[in-house]
Amino acid sequence: MALSPAFLSELERIVGSSGVVSTAEGRMVYEADMHTFYKGAPDFVVLPETTREVAEVVRLCRREHVAVVPRGSGTGLIGGAMATVGGVMVSMTRMNNILDLDFPNRCATVQPGLINLWLSQATRAQGYYFAPDPSSQMVSSIGGNASTNAGGPHCLKYGITVNHVLGLEVVTGAGEILRVGGKAQDPPGYDLTGALVGAEGTLGLLTAITVRLLHVPAAVKTLLASFSAIEDASEAVSAIVAAGIVPAALEMIDETFVKAINEGVGAGYPKGAGAVLLIELDGPAAEIEAQAVRIVQICRDHAALEIRVARDEAERALLWKGRKEAAGAVGRMSATWILQDAVVPRSRLPEIMREVVAIGARHRLVIANVFHAGDGNLHPMILYDDRVPGELDRAHDANDELLRACLAMGGSVTGEHGVGLDKAWSMPLQFGDADLAFMARFRRAFDPDGIMNPGKLLPSHPACGEGFRPAASKLPAGTWV
Amino acid sequence: MSARNPADALAAIVGREHITGSPPGIAVDGVKPRWKVSPGSVEEVSRVMMLAATEHLVVAPRGSGSALGLGMPPLALDVAMDLCRLDGIVDYVPADMVATVQAGVRLDALGRELGKHGQMLALDPYGGPSRTIGGVLATGASGPRRFRYGTGRDLLLGARFVQADGIITWGGSKVVKSVTGYDIPKLLAGSLGTLGIIVEATLRLHPAPAALGSWLLGFGSREAAASFVAALLASTLEPERLTWLNGAALARTGHAGTEAGVAVSIGSVAQAVEAQGAELAAMAASAGGRASGLADNFWLGLDGVLAGPIVLKLASELGRLPFWAGQLEETCARRSLVPAVVGEAGNGVLRAALMESVPAADLATEIVVPLRERLVAEGGSLVVERAPVDVKRAVDVWGPIAEPALAVMKRLKTEFDPRGTLNPGRFVGGL
Repeated sequence: MALSPAFLSELERIVGSSGVVSTAEGRMVYEADMHTFYKGAPDFVVLPETTREVAEVVRLCRREHVAVVPRGSGTGLIGGAMATVGGVMVSMTRMNNILDLDFPNRCATVQPGLINLWLSQATRAQGYYFAPDPSSQMVSSIGGNASTNAGGPHCLKYGITVNHVLGLEVVTGAGEILRVGGKAQDPPGYDLTGALVGAEGTLGLLTAITVRLLHVPAAVKTLLASFSAIEDASEAVSAIVAAGIVPAALEMIDETFVKAINEGVGAGYPKGAGAVLLIELDGPAAEIEAQAVRIVQICRDHAALEIRVARDEAERALLWKGRKEAAGAVGRMSATWILQDAVVPRSRLPEIMREVVAIGARHRLVIANVFHAGDGNLHPMILYDDRVPGELDRAHDANDELLRACLAMGGSVTGEHGVGLDKAWSMPLQFGDADLAFMARFRRAFDPDGIMNPGKLLPSHPACGEGFRPAASKLPAGTWV
Repeated sequence: MSARNPADALAAIVGREHITGSPPGIAVDGVKPRWKVSPGSVEEVSRVMMLAATEHLVVAPRGSGSALGLGMPPLALDVAMDLCRLDGIVDYVPADMVATVQAGVRLDALGRELGKHGQMLALDPYGGPSRTIGGVLATGASGPRRFRYGTGRDLLLGARFVQADGIITWGGSKVVKSVTGYDIPKLLAGSLGTLGIIVEATLRLHPAPAALGSWLLGFGSREAAASFVAALLASTLEPERLTWLNGAALARTGHAGTEAGVAVSIGSVAQAVEAQGAELAAMAASAGGRASGLADNFWLGLDGVLAGPIVLKLASELGRLPFWAGQLEETCARRSLVPAVVGEAGNGVLRAALMESVPAADLATEIVVPLRERLVAEGGSLVVERAPVDVKRAVDVWGPIAEPALAVMKRLKTEFDPRGTLNPGRFVGGL
């Protein structure tokens, strides 16, 4: 449906003409997030500066039955911030202020477009930081993090974004400005704050977020243990968890990635290792010293080749730099890949890693692994070359088998990236009809007319049929209808 | 109405021995159910709800019954659904640090099982370890450990629940990290059974600390205790519990003569417990206080401190907790009342128990309403957690819910329980 010039004038009245992108070239910038398989440009992009403007845009769209698609920094990996059926994309990049820093109450209130890392930078001098640390944290926005309930390496100890959100201001799909939660805990009534985090913009648009700030820990210790085989490293992870130690982070990097990271980032990971564990402990010095001794012993018991302890902040930063830039380093091996984000119960880690290797062999594909081992959240990257006929299909098949293997072990479709458009079709693999119907009704209570981010999170939408399968980039932009 | 007597139909579902007619002692705020039924399986819960839907029976789920005082009196009540027979541990793999249990499992029974593997469920709600998992989750109950571990909403990974029409539904996941779909468990936690009945919960567990130390830091004034709490919160110490106690509460724990106190526990390896304990004592000394060791069972004793006919729960910005503790005491003092105050100082949540009986209208107009107005004005809340029915008739126990949040909550209730089968009238805003 083409939107009328009158509609454009109304948008311009609300956000000003400099707040609307309507040219074809301008809109193309917004046609995809980091999952570039899925392309769909909105009819218009608006860049509001206030909650009131956001609310007016939503009310206009509701009146005119136009889809609304929220967008933060566009670093999502699930095709969440693209327009399946056109409509209006609301980009939050101009709403990027810190509204309140409140150290006595250990919290901050920020606008959704604020970059994640900026908050920690703004609070570190006072000894505080914002714990959720997705690898994209230097570019991704807190609004996007809250919308997708983003994770990150340190979620193992500190929990994912929802555990750090105290309150929200939301413009619902009904056009209401809803304020829930806040600095005081236990507000009476349903926990709408908890239910709105991770809703991927299908219930409304987050316009302000009150988050918890944590105290910078007394001490930090970062260890790197290398193993000749990924199975040994996986067993070591299970043993650390079973020993009652909850490290701040416990990351697995496989052979393929060790090589790519060393070449791309120069992190100096042990050459020739079959797998590397990056382990970080934080907390009171006496506690982490005792835990480090225990972890070193466990790694030795599992045939570790070498164990390094970062001696200073510079060494620690270098060890982490490799991990955080892993996804970029993979570009040295392959330009194209499919990234899986499924989760298994952590005791099943050795088993699923054997399965990953077997699936790769079966489909003659390299599957590279760098992931949050401590909580069982896999990130296998299935590398393929789209110039080789049939290889993309094999990659899809491998991806599908992997996902099903994780679910068969009692796992989950996505640990931190979210569902979006990419995994909407796989929701029925994890949930029954009644469960999905409950979620659809839940959605309706916030977005009665179904205008918010249509086609995302739930498997079917009137405009889209039974979910989307990536028919791949062969389709030109704008054909997602 | 079907021709069949509902009692016979209920008995056909749960078995004759698991239904009691006009049972004594299980009224909710004076409203007596016609029957108490005790289903023995999730399927039986579902069938009872299907029957309730077709026969227009009103149902109130219950666990141990310790928190039945929470909420407004029910508008009606036909069936008290006792979930205590659903007491199975469905799945527990220690290496996953996750357990799936039925709603009627008691905290102490679960704790014993987890303890064999050095693990624990970090929920220690007031009301004690005889409470059931389902009840603790549905009432949003919490205790001192929430400072380090969060509340039920943070620990509930997945939930199986039975909707008002009997449909068995699942939300969430069975792994420690999942963002697949809406976080329905968050919606259920603290919803007082008004959207569905939690019958099974998948919970995040924690390793039981290798060593635990508890201390009482006593102070001569509220101000001194407050400055200690502020210093502790600004430090890098990592306590498990950080509990504010006023003089009356201290007296009930056998520490009479201290004006204000803070009880702290630290769980870690032995060396770290000792080191942090020494820092605590030093910190208390510089605020003019004195540290003394506490036995581990001190924490269980806090339940007794809050045993009383009236319990108020105040939530404020956490930095304001000492202020509100003081306001509460002063307001009560005008009626010559001495409340025992126990608060989670790191969370801004405090509870006050009143032992003496107060005329309902006076409690409402002189204590609840004025304190609530000021708390709400700064973003907090005051909930009357326990009170005689005449108090509930005089004042809304929940307090106001701002629009449009209330409108959204009403839409949710209408969506999932349009007939008002589940606990009608007991929750916020008359839901």
